Amino acid sequence: MRRSMTFALPARGFALASNQGWVGLALVALPVLLLAWLIIYPIVSAVTDTLFVAQPDGSSALSFASYRFFFSDQYSRANLWVTLWTTLVCGALLLAIGLPIALYLRFSRGPLSAYVQGLAIFPMFVPSIILSYALIRTIGPNGAVDVLLNAVGLPKLPSPYLTPWGPVIGLVWDNLPLTVLMLTAGLGNVPKTSIEAARDVGASPLRVLWSIIMPRMVNSLLVTTSFAILGIFSSFTLPYLLGPASPEMMGPFMQRTFSDMNDPVNALTQAVIAFGFCLGFGIFYVRSVARNRGGV
Amino acid sequence: MMPGKPAVADADWIGVVLALLLTLFIALPLIVVGTWAFSEIWRYPAVIPQQFGLRYWSLTLSRTDVWEALFLSLRLATTVTILSAVICLPAAYAFARMTFPGRNILFLSFLASHAFPKFGLLVAIAGIFLQIGLISTFWGVVLIQLVGTLMLMIWIPVAAFQNVDRRMEEAARDAGAAPLRVFWSITLPQAAPTIVAAVLLTFVATFYETEGAWLIGAPEIRTMPVLMVTFINNQIVVQYGAVLSVMLWVPSFIALMFARRVVGTGTFAKGLGA
Repeated sequence: MRRSMTFALPARGFALASNQGWVGLALVALPVLLLAWLIIYPIVSAVTDTLFVAQPDGSSALSFASYRFFFSDQYSRANLWVTLWTTLVCGALLLAIGLPIALYLRFSRGPLSAYVQGLAIFPMFVPSIILSYALIRTIGPNGAVDVLLNAVGLPKLPSPYLTPWGPVIGLVWDNLPLTVLMLTAGLGNVPKTSIEAARDVGASPLRVLWSIIMPRMVNSLLVTTSFAILGIFSSFTLPYLLGPASPEMMGPFMQRTFSDMNDPVNALTQAVIAFGFCLGFGIFYVRSVARNRGGV
Repeated sequence: MMPGKPAVADADWIGVVLALLLTLFIALPLIVVGTWAFSEIWRYPAVIPQQFGLRYWSLTLSRTDVWEALFLSLRLATTVTILSAVICLPAAYAFARMTFPGRNILFLSFLASHAFPKFGLLVAIAGIFLQIGLISTFWGVVLIQLVGTLMLMIWIPVAAFQNVDRRMEEAARDAGAAPLRVFWSITLPQAAPTIVAAVLLTFVATFYETEGAWLIGAPEIRTMPVLMVTFINNQIVVQYGAVLSVMLWVPSFIALMFARRVVGTGTFAKGLGA
């Protein structure tokens, strides 16, 4: 339709296009400028502010002092370590829990499947502040888990609240919906016919999973993991409320350095270090979304 | 056909196990909060509270800090949502329907807001706000929450504008309707449900945004989530937090269910790159 119109009126179509260029740019200018001012500029400025430090004589010189401090400070290193540990454990748990759910949802229908899907997606509708509150009452000392264990005559378990496992439980809870959704979408790329063909020649379910499904899921698995890692590495609310005070994850650590210690330079250094650790995942994430969508 | 039958039985057995485990993992914490909100006395080790009642609802609702935080949060979320819609919806239309230089690159650049660890980004922004005096101000929190809404408010409406039936627009134009009239009577009504859903999602997400509000707003700007954090930190009466959770969560849940029906859960995953 459009083509026939431009064909009939080439001159007008051309004028429209060049006009549209300016109108279009003007319409997108505000959000793009906001993005440049509040995302791109702060990142660049965080890097330069921590690398080029003001000297007594008013000039600024390249200095790695704040980075050297971070990596030589035992407390900072412990915080980085617990962050990496939490990210790794959460990532592994999310895949271990999310993949069976996604596989089940892909290959079954009916009310039970709808119930499983509803539950798996439910955390999306629960803000993390409410989740933190709920988990403290559930896994905290004398919480619901203790109550239930006691009711069936079992001994109490050591509470994960205020240990590194507290944030792990919260973060897995919080990130499960997107993991399941992204993996289910990825499984949509595996044609049912090729699975049935493999079954017909006698392949075991594990063999089907490993040789037919997994190779087609690599990209989807990597995107899902990247997205989860980006979210978990610098999460704040859940580790702040459920985790130990020391060592703490990078999110609470940055917040405390910035607000309580009034030390923006070291907080920015921690932020840049977080960017560095997540850079690869961020690039991979953007690249695969860009490739999937191919622009607008 | 032989292998078909056991496979179905297997799937159901797996489904029952998954359903049970998920019920325990996902639903238990929420049931616990819900129960706390309506109990007056609940001492360990009772499975069911010793005394149910609504006493803590009236106690919570008589606190002035609760009402101040609620009105502040509503004012913030409304401001951010309106600003976000005014800035982003025209841009979404342009991305969906116009051709201009750099269109694809600019569109994809909004991914940048999701490609960095979020709290690190917030700290970097806070570093800028510190230099220009926006820390602990209403507009500082508005700006930091506004950035968080950009991608949602552009990517979902773009899909809405792209799905509008072009033939109807052209038919209207052929019948002599002016471009604005076509937009108002044909384009907008078709895109409206998805756009309303995006606006609703933005409002709810902003209302519950904790990290930016905590980092930029402290100590002057105390939103509802920030107030709940202080309730947890100060460990005052358990029921206050439980009552607030239930009270705030129910309306937002209804809004989100509506949004989900319109947008479709798959779109979230697609928008995030699955």
